[in-house]
Amino acid sequence: MAALTIDNVQKRYGQTEVLKGIDIAIDKGEFLILVGPSGCGKSTLMNSIAGLEEVSDGRILIGDQDVTRASPKDRDIAMVFQSYALYPNMTVRQNIAFGLEIRKVPKAEREAEVKRVAQMLQIEHLLERKPSQLSGGQRQRVAMGRALARRPRLYLFDEPLSNLDAKLRVEMRTEIKKLHQRLGTTIVYVTHDQIEAMTLADRIAVMRDGELLQLATPQEIYDNPANQFVAGFMGSPAMNFIPCQLAQGDTGIGVQLEDGNGQPVWLPLPDGGAGLQQAQLGKTVTLGLRPEMITEPQPHKAGQPLVREVAIRVDVTEPTGADTMVLTELSGVEVNCRVNPRYPLATGQLASLMFDMSKAVLFDPITEARLDN
Amino acid sequence: MLDNSRTASQQLLRWGIYGLLALMALIYLMPLWVMLLTSLKDIEEIRSGTLLSLPQGLNFDAWQKAWSSACTGGTCEGISPYLANSFLIVIPAVAISTLVGALNGYVVAMWRFRGSELFFGLLLVGCFIPFQVVLLPMARTLSFLGLANTTTGLVLVHVVYGIAFTTLFFRNFYVGLPRELISAARLDGAGFFTIFRRIILPLSTPIIVVTVIWQFTQIWNDFLFGVVFSGSDTQPVTVALNNLVNTSFGGKQYNVDMAAALIAALPTLLVYVLAGKYFVRGLTAGAVKG
Amino acid sequence: MNNIDAVQTLSEAKRAPLARIQDRLADWLPKLVLTPTLLVVLVCMYGYILWTGLLSLTNSRLLPVWNFIGTGQYDRLFDNDRWLVALNNLVLFGGLFILVCLALGVFLAILLDQKIRQEGALRTIYLYPMAISFIVTGTAWKWLLNPSLGLEKLVHSWGFDSFSFDWLVDPDRVVFCLVIAAVWQSSGFVMAMFLAGLRGVDQEMVKAAQLDGASMPTIYRRIILPSLKPVFFSAFVILAHIAIKSFDLVAALTGGGPGYSSDLPANFMYTHAFTRAQMGLGAASAMVMLGGVLAILVPYLYSELRGKRNA
Repeated sequence: MAALTIDNVQKRYGQTEVLKGIDIAIDKGEFLILVGPSGCGKSTLMNSIAGLEEVSDGRILIGDQDVTRASPKDRDIAMVFQSYALYPNMTVRQNIAFGLEIRKVPKAEREAEVKRVAQMLQIEHLLERKPSQLSGGQRQRVAMGRALARRPRLYLFDEPLSNLDAKLRVEMRTEIKKLHQRLGTTIVYVTHDQIEAMTLADRIAVMRDGELLQLATPQEIYDNPANQFVAGFMGSPAMNFIPCQLAQGDTGIGVQLEDGNGQPVWLPLPDGGAGLQQAQLGKTVTLGLRPEMITEPQPHKAGQPLVREVAIRVDVTEPTGADTMVLTELSGVEVNCRVNPRYPLATGQLASLMFDMSKAVLFDPITEARLDN
Repeated sequence: MLDNSRTASQQLLRWGIYGLLALMALIYLMPLWVMLLTSLKDIEEIRSGTLLSLPQGLNFDAWQKAWSSACTGGTCEGISPYLANSFLIVIPAVAISTLVGALNGYVVAMWRFRGSELFFGLLLVGCFIPFQVVLLPMARTLSFLGLANTTTGLVLVHVVYGIAFTTLFFRNFYVGLPRELISAARLDGAGFFTIFRRIILPLSTPIIVVTVIWQFTQIWNDFLFGVVFSGSDTQPVTVALNNLVNTSFGGKQYNVDMAAALIAALPTLLVYVLAGKYFVRGLTAGAVKG
Repeated sequence: MNNIDAVQTLSEAKRAPLARIQDRLADWLPKLVLTPTLLVVLVCMYGYILWTGLLSLTNSRLLPVWNFIGTGQYDRLFDNDRWLVALNNLVLFGGLFILVCLALGVFLAILLDQKIRQEGALRTIYLYPMAISFIVTGTAWKWLLNPSLGLEKLVHSWGFDSFSFDWLVDPDRVVFCLVIAAVWQSSGFVMAMFLAGLRGVDQEMVKAAQLDGASMPTIYRRIILPSLKPVFFSAFVILAHIAIKSFDLVAALTGGGPGYSSDLPANFMYTHAFTRAQMGLGAASAMVMLGGVLAILVPYLYSELRGKRNA
């Protein structure tokens, strides 16, 4: 039995469709992350699960219970908000205990629960303070404590880290991951930060314009994006999209593009482009290749069937310390390459870089849909 | 603050500004000062002296007369009974209109539904209509309800036409609170009134103070509703004061007029001195409508 | 899909009907709470306006009679010399009152904005008249402006024997007395509004202008005051509103006199509707007042709403 089932959920405001039939089922203990650009419907979906917004069509089940029309209080859900939404007039202790108090949990039990949660989150010394006396990170912890105290069946996190500074965000991210591993809670988590999505999720649901584009594990989404949007959304710097033609080569069907000298260069595709047909030769497609697959020549990979060296012109170099990002132009578009900082490069000069095509993907340039290769 | 390089002309300008501000302050204070001086003089001193001449001693006869024996229209009991009337009208009217405004504002800001914005728009117009346009029907309604010339009737009128402002105040305050607060409380299992009582109301102290002060001064200072809807024994103090001043029994008694005016002004002046900060906030909140 | 259907029927059955009714009720609570106010607004504002409008089309005198005579009352109204005087007074009084209040309010606000010590105390002094009833204001100024014992005598005592100040009893000048008292009462409010506006001005913008070499007067005239246009607008609407509704000040300060030379429309309406048994005429004058307020308000609200949509 799934812990949460979202069955063809639709939401309309008048004429505008915000959710266009979403289907998601997640298991108990699973960490699901909803990502997508703003306005994609992820927050609406979150609010619909919580019961803060009514859905126009479809059903939502928590465990074996249909909660589509149930009020928020009957869903046994806790939510951590972007603004934390701590009750300003109550102390931390009262904030954590409020939900229990409303549900008429006896006082002794409430106190025990507050103690347990406070210990777990290391906020025992803050219990008598008001939210206004807390730092951002402390508020974040209290907000999580309030959610944990009720031991609900499902946790919702609505961009919980976006109000923290970069360093604290990384710390809290790790903390949330540890907490999830320890407690085995079921979590639905909304974010627009794709690093958060990659690091935390068991599965990621990528949404756009009220549609679910792909629901898969982080690695699957990274390696095998369902379409060009998903491919471009996940990963930083983003995947390179290079226009090229399908062409026959010595090891099967590959792609042909222009190198830094303006010379045509042929690159192989995984499995010799087995998924493509001869009839498609000459067709223009979009090659998707992540920056880390374009590197300095690596001797141990030399000679592998899917690896080629291509001459490129170095337009800009951006050292990040661990790597140096090289910007160049291929077939008229800007391409990002991730190169070892010790590899000698001169701006404006040609350099020979290694293209590893083992993870290359193809997209239809018009529909942006994934092409089998 | 002092800048060594400040030139003499800048220094002069500074003195000019302070001088001007002080002069204006004196002009604004003068009427109050004159009222006080006049109320402490007897008629003879008033005739022989000028507005600003000091009284010969502290003579509270005029105050006593204004309080308990001056004639206002028909009766001669001073304005103290009418002061009591004003309190009887103001206290319930302020309490009810503030409470209703708080609930309305809470709904309009936090529980929006289809039509709640329209409701608010309809209500806002109520802040602006000249009340002359509702006087005649309201008079008919009050007499139909048997409330003509009663304190209850006046309370009702003040509540009805005060709600627009109180709702506006609370709505504008609540719009500034995060809506997620409500979502969090709903997930915690709290209902409409529980959220209001346990979370929203404890946060509302500043706006309650602003609204109470605003409503108190508005209703206390009202003359129009008082003169139209009150009976001779339920008049608020403003109406009684006006009657007192315009009743000429054997010569004008300016000292009594001034004492009575000061008595009528005292409650709101006191509120202003004690809570002026909130008074200003109420005024500017009323000014920055919507 | 099938097992999901089965699940649903199961859980539907499990939910107690009472709880469902309570949930529905909870959904309706916000609407329920607004209902009394909505009824009051519809009846006591919009309904009454309609009622007054209908009354203005009848020949009602002491009591309402539903005998419609078309626009006869409006014809009578605009033939009525007293009404025309009242309208004239309103234009004069309103115009001067608004102009002087704005000028004085802006002036005081700018002076107070110069990092003045004791700013709080001064602000309190300029604003306190706003806490006082117009009746008290009228009473006080009636005494101050008293032709023989008031300011005139005070100035005489300073040695200016020829000084004459009898506007309160001069039918041509009595309106100015209203203006003086009303300005004393309301200008502090305008000052407070502008001071709040000045405090909201972007200081970096002022610094930029200073670096551009502009003097402070130029900065106020060219940059700061133009940026306070919305405050001017709000203050204008509020002052105009006060002017049109002004009733108590006239009642207390002049009683409409001498004769009816200082009447304002609000006083005309009260006199005819409640003391002269001319209900139809009073209703017609009230409707004209409403029209006046709307003429100012509708463009204001329109621009406010449009501004918000653009923002």
